[in-house]
Amino acid sequence: MNDLTPTREQRSAALEGMGCKRKRVEDIRFTQGKGNYVDDVKLPGMLHGDFVRSPHPHARVKKIDDSEALKVPGVLAVITAETLKTVNLAWMPTLAGDVQMVLADGKVLFQNQEVAFVVATDRYAADDGINKVIVEYEPLPPLVDPFKSMDKDAPVLREDLAGKTSGAHGPRKHHNHIFEWSVGDKELTDAAFKKAEVTIKEMISYHRTHPSPLETCQCVCSFDKIKGELTIYGTFQAPHVIRTVVSLIAKLPEQKIHVIAPDIGGGFGNKVGAYPGYICAAVASIVTGKPVKWVEDRIENLTATSFARDYHMTTEIAASKDGKVTGLRVHVLADHGAFDACADPSKWPAGFFNIVTGSYDFPTAHLAVDGVYTNKAPGGVAYRCSFRVTEAAYCIERAMDILAQKLNMDPAELRLKNFIKPEQFPYHSALGWEYDSGDYHTAMRKMMETTGYAALRKEQAEKRAAFKRGETREIMGLGVSFFTEIVGAGPSKNCDILGIAMFDSCEIRMHPTGAGIARMGTKSQGQGHETTWAQIIATEIGIPADNIMVEEGNTDTAPYGLGTYGSRSTPVAGAAIAMAARKIKAKAQMIAAYKLEVHEDDLEFDIDGFRVKGLPEKFMSMKDICWAAYNSVPPGMEPGLEAVSYYDPPNMTYPFGAYLCVMDIDVDTGVYKVRRFYALDDCGTRINPMIIEGQVHGGLTEAFAIAMGQEIRYDDTGNVVTGSFMDFFMPTAVETPHWETDFTVTPSPHHPIGAKGVGESPNVGGVPAFSNAVNDAFSFLGSTHIQMPHDFWRNWRAAKDLGAVA
Amino acid sequence: MQMNDSQRIPASREEVWAALNDPAVLKQCIPGCQSLEVTAPNEMTATVIFKVGPVKATFSGKVILSDLDPPNSYRISGEGSGGVAGFAKGGALVRLESESADVTVLHYDVDAQIGGKLAQLGARLINSTATKLAGEFFKSFAGVVSAKAEAG
Repeated sequence: MNDLTPTREQRSAALEGMGCKRKRVEDIRFTQGKGNYVDDVKLPGMLHGDFVRSPHPHARVKKIDDSEALKVPGVLAVITAETLKTVNLAWMPTLAGDVQMVLADGKVLFQNQEVAFVVATDRYAADDGINKVIVEYEPLPPLVDPFKSMDKDAPVLREDLAGKTSGAHGPRKHHNHIFEWSVGDKELTDAAFKKAEVTIKEMISYHRTHPSPLETCQCVCSFDKIKGELTIYGTFQAPHVIRTVVSLIAKLPEQKIHVIAPDIGGGFGNKVGAYPGYICAAVASIVTGKPVKWVEDRIENLTATSFARDYHMTTEIAASKDGKVTGLRVHVLADHGAFDACADPSKWPAGFFNIVTGSYDFPTAHLAVDGVYTNKAPGGVAYRCSFRVTEAAYCIERAMDILAQKLNMDPAELRLKNFIKPEQFPYHSALGWEYDSGDYHTAMRKMMETTGYAALRKEQAEKRAAFKRGETREIMGLGVSFFTEIVGAGPSKNCDILGIAMFDSCEIRMHPTGAGIARMGTKSQGQGHETTWAQIIATEIGIPADNIMVEEGNTDTAPYGLGTYGSRSTPVAGAAIAMAARKIKAKAQMIAAYKLEVHEDDLEFDIDGFRVKGLPEKFMSMKDICWAAYNSVPPGMEPGLEAVSYYDPPNMTYPFGAYLCVMDIDVDTGVYKVRRFYALDDCGTRINPMIIEGQVHGGLTEAFAIAMGQEIRYDDTGNVVTGSFMDFFMPTAVETPHWETDFTVTPSPHHPIGAKGVGESPNVGGVPAFSNAVNDAFSFLGSTHIQMPHDFWRNWRAAKDLGAVA
Repeated sequence: MQMNDSQRIPASREEVWAALNDPAVLKQCIPGCQSLEVTAPNEMTATVIFKVGPVKATFSGKVILSDLDPPNSYRISGEGSGGVAGFAKGGALVRLESESADVTVLHYDVDAQIGGKLAQLGARLINSTATKLAGEFFKSFAGVVSAKAEAG
């Protein structure tokens, strides 16, 4: 060794492995406008398709006349349900076990429902064609309010389900009922409420909103008649699932379907499902023999492809006078729209909503969910959350604040009093989950100390007194939120999609020069997988992250995986990467032992290679082992250095965090200012702190949007009145507050690298923090709960209702 | 959407009533009206160009007069489709009141509903647009009727 020999720290830093704030490798192309999105795919002779959509929320379709449309120059075909029936595709299965019309079959059930698909030589001609398709409707009474869906005289929405007394999730009790799902011990919970010293009850609504990625849903389908092969480029969060679904419903052999998800401009759950656009583009390509592109516009995206939330949660907590919770009872009315196209693992009609006991040690709980049909767009996807976890977190975090108010206790103190204690992990919740690890008290106290929580409460008390004396018109709110998520779906014992277990996969192939490629079953939509996956491999096998290429999204080359959503990539695929890397490492160790002429057990791994124990100069780098793997492996060993791992997680992971929002609201205008927002996240082992920070910023911005104004709203007659960015709140840098981020690290005990996932935590924890801040601000004026979203007008109205404004 | 207002017209109640039942007058006064044809007693078909915010479309549909109580009141109702732009339907109860022999006050009570793209994009503009259109209609109606009354 000499002075030029790198130190261990230098060798470790050169890998840019786990814990390194490695710059995002994908940004080199994105920041130069060189990304390759679906709309960049241009194939020779490509046609364009677009939809005729229903202006009515509920109507009978009497007649579709396409004769004038077919005269428009450039228009080649108009596809209707009748066309699709000839190939048995007028309806398609949904992920939730229901069926959904691809094109209106006799009836339309929501505004902007797909009625006909016009195929033309360019998008302009398709649009002209749409204007010439004459559809005759007979309007029917619309059902908009989910609370009226099971009224005796409620209109029958789904005539195709006539006489069906049970659905995919058990008995149906009304013609607009989809399922009832219940969990927990009802008797024990009812008993807890009977003897409770204090109870609260509130109907807490989480309004309908939309993931609204900037890139809308789109695809290009190209059918090769000679080979009988269908290639689909699409905005797919789960490309393999799409391939399997297409194979099952189009009856094409799966090996003849090539699904390619190129760069994706945001997904947030919107791009998990299968939409009529995909089916119609595929059929149009089969019919015309040419590639067909379908690209949603903004209105179509907001009003027709999957919405999120729309949960109406009647929540009750039982507690002792000194603030110890003794029971939780929740009933949810879930508005699923016209078809149950909710994207949940198949056995979970309300997702993982039974995480609703949150971070608290509830001795007993009971939950029941009723799903209902209304004349609204289908969906119910996990908008930057793991299957209804945001709804659950909002429900319990709002309810804990309401309880604190009733007990006249500080919301943070109430939480500290009821947290699951560190020594209780692994913790079995009253609603059936096994929390893997957590240290809630430490995280909460760190939040309180860093933000100066006690001083803020003191300031609030002074401001309230000043408000009552008439010296100020501004009120101050502190929004505390302490969430526990459940992510990483999921173990095959309880998670599948259409019967496929929710494992994930990684295949690593090392090249002779010490470089390699990792192929994944996941699909980044902006999460930075190309950066972080390489970091895990770098640390695991000692090859610099820069030498590892990560490839995702091509079903022909990637191992089968269930895709990216529900914060599952790191918990599931991240584990598969580590396991595949460890297989590589095990073989590398055998090769090194052979080359260094020692027994395997005499070797130890040292950052970027193997060293003979006690003989530090006898060392073989991983780079050299890669070369040896292709020319001088031990006798009897196959050459090459590659591995594949399919990881079936033993449990979910349970990230958590402590958030605080400090907000000031002017009662006369309703205008709010987010003075401060602090987010402490514990996502276990941190792979790339910079990417985590970016994820938290993005998730908080979406949480801010949802809590403070973002809504898909319908008027009484079933019109979507927030169908464009003019009315649907999409925050820009102008509205977005400054974010302060922090962390604690409590690794997952069952995950190979201890990571838990973080992408969705800020959305899950952020929404209750904002809403609690608004509610906390108004509470001293006598309110217990104000429904979201808290836009200026609603704040002003709340102030007016409470008598604070004349 | 609902709105009600009244308009003072310098003409007798009978003259106003006659004009309210005259398709030529209606055609002249309905903003954007391209055609108005009588198809049956108290029944007409109309084509109207309607613009709300970013949406502009040609609506064609039926107009029906009902609950006729000459020369006091009637209900005018209609529904039209603007293709991809959506649809509109609604009606107005029109009531005449003599202020004096040659001045009539016309009261109107409108209840209208729109759907489709028109409602999605124009929701925030629809009330002001509707008020403006109603104002335009009754203003020109008052003008036409008083001119007729003077000429008569």
